[in-house]
Amino acid sequence: MAIELRPLEQFTIERIIPIHIGGLDLSYTNAALMMTIAVIFATALMVLATRRAALVPGRWQSVAEMLYEFVADMVDSNIGQGGRQFFPFVFTLFTFILFANLLGMIPYSYTTTSQIIVTFALAAVVFILVTAIGIIRHGFHFLSLFVPHGVPKVLLLLLVPIELLSYFIRPFTLSIRLFANMLAGHTMLAIFGGFAASIGLFAFFPTAINVLLVGLEFLVAVLQAYVFAILTCLYLSEAVHLH
Amino acid sequence: MSEREPPDPLAGLGERIDRARAERVREQATVGDRSAVQQGVGFGLRIGIELVVAIGVATGLGWVIDRWLGTQPWGIIVLFFLGIAAGMLNVYRAVSGIRAPVGFRKLDGEGAAGGARPDAWDDDEN
Repeated sequence: MAIELRPLEQFTIERIIPIHIGGLDLSYTNAALMMTIAVIFATALMVLATRRAALVPGRWQSVAEMLYEFVADMVDSNIGQGGRQFFPFVFTLFTFILFANLLGMIPYSYTTTSQIIVTFALAAVVFILVTAIGIIRHGFHFLSLFVPHGVPKVLLLLLVPIELLSYFIRPFTLSIRLFANMLAGHTMLAIFGGFAASIGLFAFFPTAINVLLVGLEFLVAVLQAYVFAILTCLYLSEAVHLH
Repeated sequence: MSEREPPDPLAGLGERIDRARAERVREQATVGDRSAVQQGVGFGLRIGIELVVAIGVATGLGWVIDRWLGTQPWGIIVLFFLGIAAGMLNVYRAVSGIRAPVGFRKLDGEGAAGGARPDAWDDDEN
């Protein structure tokens, strides 16, 4: 009885409601379904938990308040002055990624953040927003970001392309970091799970490792949402407080 | 028959407050430790990918430029090395805790964002 190991099967995209408009495939897929669920859960948590707001918070209200304070703290300490106007954006981003990551931890569900197109779309939104804010606030002066201070003119020929490159690489690092972590983690879980299923009597050991890995994956799920949000804050801070 | 005085509600209050305060400070210290560890892990995960992606993306861009302008193999060669430089720059900046990742100057804390901001990444350095 051979059990086939297909650790990547979990990332297959299936069309739930096929929609084809023109040459475009706009089908509603299982990935889209999980995103919808993540949005519904996040909204439900915030709305329901704060509907009957009490001075002494109940369980759900304290979860919502902790989430709020955590992000508010992050925004305050990383963007500083004038950062509060970006709070809704950072908060939405953080909660969405957090819920998408955590919902992916439920067996037989689907991890949307393991699709690079999803994380890249999120990162592209951040990148465009940061660039637009920089240009709106500072105009042409924004381009001085790419010209290092106090460097001989000749070296600028070399340094400006490097600076430009390291700026335009940001959406890629931002999206690949989240995508790679989720993909690698879930693949690893599937491999150890399939391993345990195929060796019978000694399955105890891979199962034990898998239990530990699940714990690690929860850590990664929360941490990656945090890293994504804090980098967004750093980039915003830079665009806002340009010299 | 001596009149017994009711126990003074304020007796020892200062001591109790001091004790509670000390406990609270201790609690906060352990919480601080934990969040430092958390930030350290986040930091490591962040750095790991920075260099690799920079080189990969730059080389890919070089390949695209080559195909577009027909300048094989110079685009790939030049952009590969630029990618290494950009990746190292990003890593160096993240590690050394310079606030502005692009541009070589340091953000002056007092002008830019209200005093000495607690640096999220600085915790790992001590």
